[in-house]
Formats: sequence, C-alpha cells, structure tokens
Amino acid sequence: MEGALKLWAIILIVGALNYASRLSFIVFFSRRSMPPLLARALRFVPAAMLTALIVPMVLVPSGDVPGAAGPRVLAALVAAAAAFRTRSTLATLSVGMLALWAAGALAR
Amino acid sequence: MTAGAGAPNADSTDSHGLAPCVTRGVAAARRSDRPARRAAGAARDGRIGRRKRRAVDAPRSLRRTPSRLPVPRTYRSAEFRAGFLEMLPACVGLVPFGLVCGVAAQVAGADALAAIGLATIIFSGAAQILALQLFAAGAPLAIVVLTCFVLGLRLLMYSAAMAPHLASLPPRWQRGLAFVLTDQAFAAAIRRFGATRDPREGARYFAGCGAALWITWQATNLGGYFAGNLIPAAWSLDFAVPLCFIALVAPLMRSVPNVTAALVAGLAVVGFGGLPMKLNLVVAGVLGIAAGTLAELAQERWKAR
Repeated sequence: MEGALKLWAIILIVGALNYASRLSFIVFFSRRSMPPLLARALRFVPAAMLTALIVPMVLVPSGDVPGAAGPRVLAALVAAAAAFRTRSTLATLSVGMLALWAAGALAR
Repeated sequence: MTAGAGAPNADSTDSHGLAPCVTRGVAAARRSDRPARRAAGAARDGRIGRRKRRAVDAPRSLRRTPSRLPVPRTYRSAEFRAGFLEMLPACVGLVPFGLVCGVAAQVAGADALAAIGLATIIFSGAAQILALQLFAAGAPLAIVVLTCFVLGLRLLMYSAAMAPHLASLPPRWQRGLAFVLTDQAFAAAIRRFGATRDPREGARYFAGCGAALWITWQATNLGGYFAGNLIPAAWSLDFAVPLCFIALVAPLMRSVPNVTAALVAGLAVVGFGGLPMKLNLVVAGVLGIAAGTLAELAQERWKAR
C-alpha cells in the first residue's frame, strides 16, 4: 500500500512539474514580447535539442549486434542522407531500418 | 418579391442563425453574426440573407456535437487531419518505446491504474522509465521528482520556442497544446508554424499531431503492460525513435548555423555524458543553441562586410 501511494505521489508530482515546464514560457511570453536575441536563439532549439537526443540513442549498442554500435551509426548516417533528400519521415524510417538490418546481418 | 415578404424572412434568418450559436461558442457566434447583420440591412431581399446563412452554416453532423473550442471545426479542419496523418509514421516509431514503458511499469510492480496514470499524466517516455527505475530501486520521493524534473528541462526550451507562435491564441488553446508538447509534436509543429502565417493553422496541425501521439501512447503503454514485450529485441525496432528525430533534423542541415548547433550539441552530449541525472541533454542543448546563434551572427557580419 505504501508503495502504491508513493508511486501515485511520483505520478502526480512529476506530471504536474512536466506540465508546468511545458506551459511555463508559453504563458510567460503570451503577455509580453520576447527579446530579439532570445527569439533568434530559440530558432536553433530543434537542431540542437533533437541532435542531443539522437546521438546517445545511436551510440548505445543493443539488440542487433550486442556490444557493437557500428551498425546503428552506419544506419543513422544512411537515414540522415535519405531524410536530407526526401524530407519524409516514412522514407527515413524505412531506409534506416533496412540499413540497420542489412548492416547487422553483415556484421554477424 | 416585395419588401413585406422579405422582412419576416430576415427575422427568421436571425433567430435561426443565433440558436445554434449558443452551443457552438464564441467564434461561431461571431461568424454567423455577419450574415444576420447583412440580412437585417438588406431586408428588401430575403433571398440574400437566406443564401448567406446557408453558406456559413455548419454541416448537420457538426451541429449535433456542440464544440466549445474557440477555433471552430478543429477536428474537421484540413490542418488537424494533416497533423494527425503526418504524425502516424512517427507513431509507428513510438510503438516499441510505448511497449517498453508499459513493460517497465509492470516490472516495477505498478498496478494497472498506476500504469494508465503514468501514460496519461506524465505522458513522456523518458520520464516514465526513469521514474519507474528509481521507484523500483527504492529511491526517495524527492530524488525521483528532482531527477525527472531535470530530465524535463528541455521542455522549458520547447515551451519558449513555441511561445511566439502561440501568443495570439486563446489561453484555452495554450493550455491544451502545452499538454501535448512532446519531443515529436514539438519538432513537427514548429516546422509547420514556420511555414504558415496564420498561427491558428499551425495550432490545429499541432493539435492533430498531439492527438495521434496521445492515442498511440496510451494504446502502446497498455499493450506493453498487459501483453509484455510483443516485439522481439532482435528486430531493434527501438531504433525507430532516433530515426524519427533524424527525419526532422537532417532537412535542417541546409544552413550553416543549424549545422553548427547540431554539431556542438552532438559533441557536447557525448562529452558531458558523465553528468548525473542526464544533465548532459540540457547542457548540450544550451551549448548547441548558443553556438548556432553565434554562427548566425558571425555569418551576418561576414555578409555585411
């Protein structure tokens, strides 16, 4: 019972903090204007933040060939080339997964 | 047609036009206000008022479901549908992630209701898994909360980047869209906001993305909780998550400042990998943003020369 209560406390507090983070600046800047330098800097959020999310996921070895990140790095590069050309999520997903399976099969 | 025949016609237009407005909300009222006024002015010819009224009236099926949203016909709009459909490939990529979250809840000893609570209330895969791991390890509540908050610091950046686009929308929309402000929805919606001038279009697209993600997330979390890990690990379907992000980032690499931001962030996230609580994510993000801004300023100065 104690465990269940603690888990619910975690769910509610983490959920509330998450939502507060998501809403924070949307509300803050809805009434006042944003400094131009900040507005300029925030345009780089997608490139910087998403790359920071991608790199650890690509470098972590798991699943395919245990202990080797090689196939993932290779597949990620191939997928990035496909994404650069096509700008399509579906094409990137298919090319990337096929490249990973092919590289995994070759490395085995 | 005589003026006498037109007047009652205009009256009936008015009452008919206003009746459904009460249920359909402010924006709908503003819309049907216009033909009613025109009908009163052009009472000489009732047919004008009538035709106008029919033109702006909502379809019969929509009248039955009163919507209180200030942006009318959200769920039927082309943008909402586009957001929903264009999010589906990314949702496929999220399936293994959602299943893993469901499995993590089951392994950590959460009951079904708590598993649903995790997916609906926290609605963030990384935070859910981290919270469950710490919970299962018996970490104190304060540590769990603090760690998850630090992991969620990137949401502050998303919030700030979204702020200018959402500033002109009603508070209800800001609160609703903030709830579905996730990595995937942010990346997809910010691109749409950049491509359109009307923030309402971007907001409807954003809402469509959020709806697709939310439904997928609940379904896969529950699936993972009850059915365990359905997909063999050898398929490495978890790789679909970084692939979805790559699909959104790679096309940005056509400008030098964006390339700089990505390079610096990518190097920093590895370089600061030793930081606790996944602080390297936020540090890398901030450094990347700063590098991109500096690169752009330098580029402008170079061109001005």
